[in-house]
Amino acid sequence: MSSGQPWGHNLEKMDGIARFLAADPAATVQTGQTSHAIIHRDRKAVVRYFAPAAHSGQIHTPMFISMPLINTWTIFDLLPGRSVIEALTGAGVPVYLLDWGRPGPEDATTTLELLIDGTLRRCLDRAKRHAKALHGASEMDALGYCVGGTYLCTFMARYPDAARRMALLCTPIDFHASGRLSCWATPKNFPLQEIVAGHGNFPADMMRQSFSWLRPMGQLSKWKGLWDRFDQPGFRELWAAMEQWNSDNTDFCGAAYQEYVQRCYFDNALYRGGWKLAGREVRLSEGRAPVLVLAAADDHIVPPRAAFALKDVWGAPVQTRQLKGGHVAVCVGKELPAALLEWVRAGAQPAGQAEKQA
Amino acid sequence: MAEQQNGFPDFEKVSNDFYKQWESSMTRWWDQVLESPAFLDGMGKNAAGYAKARGAWQKQMDEMADKMHLPGKADLVRLARICTMLEERLLQQEDRILELNDRMVGLEKELIHSRIEAAEARLEQREQAGRMEKLLKQLLNNTGAGTGAGTGAADGKRRRAEGA
Repeated sequence: MSSGQPWGHNLEKMDGIARFLAADPAATVQTGQTSHAIIHRDRKAVVRYFAPAAHSGQIHTPMFISMPLINTWTIFDLLPGRSVIEALTGAGVPVYLLDWGRPGPEDATTTLELLIDGTLRRCLDRAKRHAKALHGASEMDALGYCVGGTYLCTFMARYPDAARRMALLCTPIDFHASGRLSCWATPKNFPLQEIVAGHGNFPADMMRQSFSWLRPMGQLSKWKGLWDRFDQPGFRELWAAMEQWNSDNTDFCGAAYQEYVQRCYFDNALYRGGWKLAGREVRLSEGRAPVLVLAAADDHIVPPRAAFALKDVWGAPVQTRQLKGGHVAVCVGKELPAALLEWVRAGAQPAGQAEKQA
Repeated sequence: MAEQQNGFPDFEKVSNDFYKQWESSMTRWWDQVLESPAFLDGMGKNAAGYAKARGAWQKQMDEMADKMHLPGKADLVRLARICTMLEERLLQQEDRILELNDRMVGLEKELIHSRIEAAEARLEQREQAGRMEKLLKQLLNNTGAGTGAGTGAADGKRRRAEGA
C-alpha cells in the first residue's frame, strides 16, 4: 500500500483484486511456454529437450537438469522473461530437463535405487546420446534443484564420469542443518512407517500443507504482496503463475520417500556416510566433477548452511555462491540465470570441440 | 504518529507499521508453537492416525468391491504395477540394445582402423619388397660382373693344371 494514496484508489484496487481473483488466474495462466521436444520416456519420467536459440551463435556444452520430484518442472520456465531455460537456450546452451512426472499408486513400490540408478542414469544417457548426435557434444554439464539435486549428487558420486561439471541449486546435503524441516523430520516426531503404509505414496496434498506450515505467515505475505504490487506491470501474471505452481505438487513414490527420509533426514547418512544404495555405499568423497553450489539467502527449506555442507564431503573442488530470494523465488529472479550463465561461460568449450580433440 | 502535510494522520503508513509489528510478533509466536515438543507430538500422532484411517478405509473399500465382484483400487493398482514392471523391462532391453549398438559401432570403428592399418602395412610391405628386389637386382648385377671375372680365373687355373 503506497503511502498517501486516496481511499478511493484503494477501493478501486480492492475491486480490481476481487475481479482478478474471481477470474481464477492461476487456472488460466500459461506456464512452460518455451518450445521443446520430448526425446525419451522412462515410465512416468520424460526428458524434455530445449534447443539453443538460433540467434545464440556459439553452442555451449549441453546441460542436463534434474528437477525435484515433488513439484512440476515449470518453475524453471514459468513465464517468458522469468525462465531459467529461456535464459540458457538464449545463450546457446542445449538444455535437457528431466521431468519426473506424476507418480500414481502403482509407483508406491518404486525405490530410490530404481529412480537414481535406473531413471536418472538412463535419462542422462539418452540426453548425452541425443546431444552427441545433434550437436557433436561428447560431454554434458548437470544441474540439480532441491531433491533433484540430492539425487544428482548421489548419482555423480556413484558414477563420477557421468557429467563434466555439476551445479546444485538449493540442494540439501547436511539434512540436520535444514532448519525447521530437520526439527520436524525426526523418528520421534514424524511417523514415517505409518504414513507410507497408510497412503502408499506420500500425498501431494500433505506435502503442500507441510510446506505451508513451515512458514505460516508466508501465506499472509503472499496476499500482502498482491495488494502492494497489484499495479506493477507483469506482477499479476507472475503471481498467478506462482500460485499455479505452488498448488501443483506431485506425489512422492512411497518406497523412495521412506528411504529418502530415513537415510537423509533421520540418519543424515548422505553427509555422514553409511548409506548403502543398491548394495554400494554412497560416498560423496568419490565425486570427481567440480561443483558449483548455489543457495538462496532466505531459503527456509534448505538454508545455505545445509547446501554449502557439500564442501566438507565432496571429492573435487566446490565453489559456493549465495543468491537473493527464497527457495522458490530464486528460480524466477534475475540472479540465477546470470549466475548459471557465468558458470557456463567459465567452462566454455564449444560443443563438439572435445570430440575433435579426442 | 506519522502525519501528512495537511495535518491528518497518514493512516496507510500507520497501518503498514502496525502490520509489520503484528507480523513480526506472530512470526515469533508461530516459531515457538511449531517447534514445541507438544505441538510436534500432536502433529505426529495426528498424521499417523490419519494415515491409518486412510489405509483402513481403502482396505474396506477394496473388500466391499471384492464382495460385489467388482475390481477394487488394489486390483487396478496391481495391473498398473505389472504394466510399470513390463515397461521397466522394456527399458532395460533398450539399454542392452543401445549397449550392443555401441559395441557394434566400436567394432566397426576398429574394423575400419584395422583395414586401414592392414592396407598401410600391405603398402609398406610392397614398398619394402620393391626395395629388396631393387637391392637384389643391384647385388645380382654386381655379383654377375664379379662372377664373370671369377670364372675366367678359374678357367685359367684349370687350363694351367691340364697343361701341367
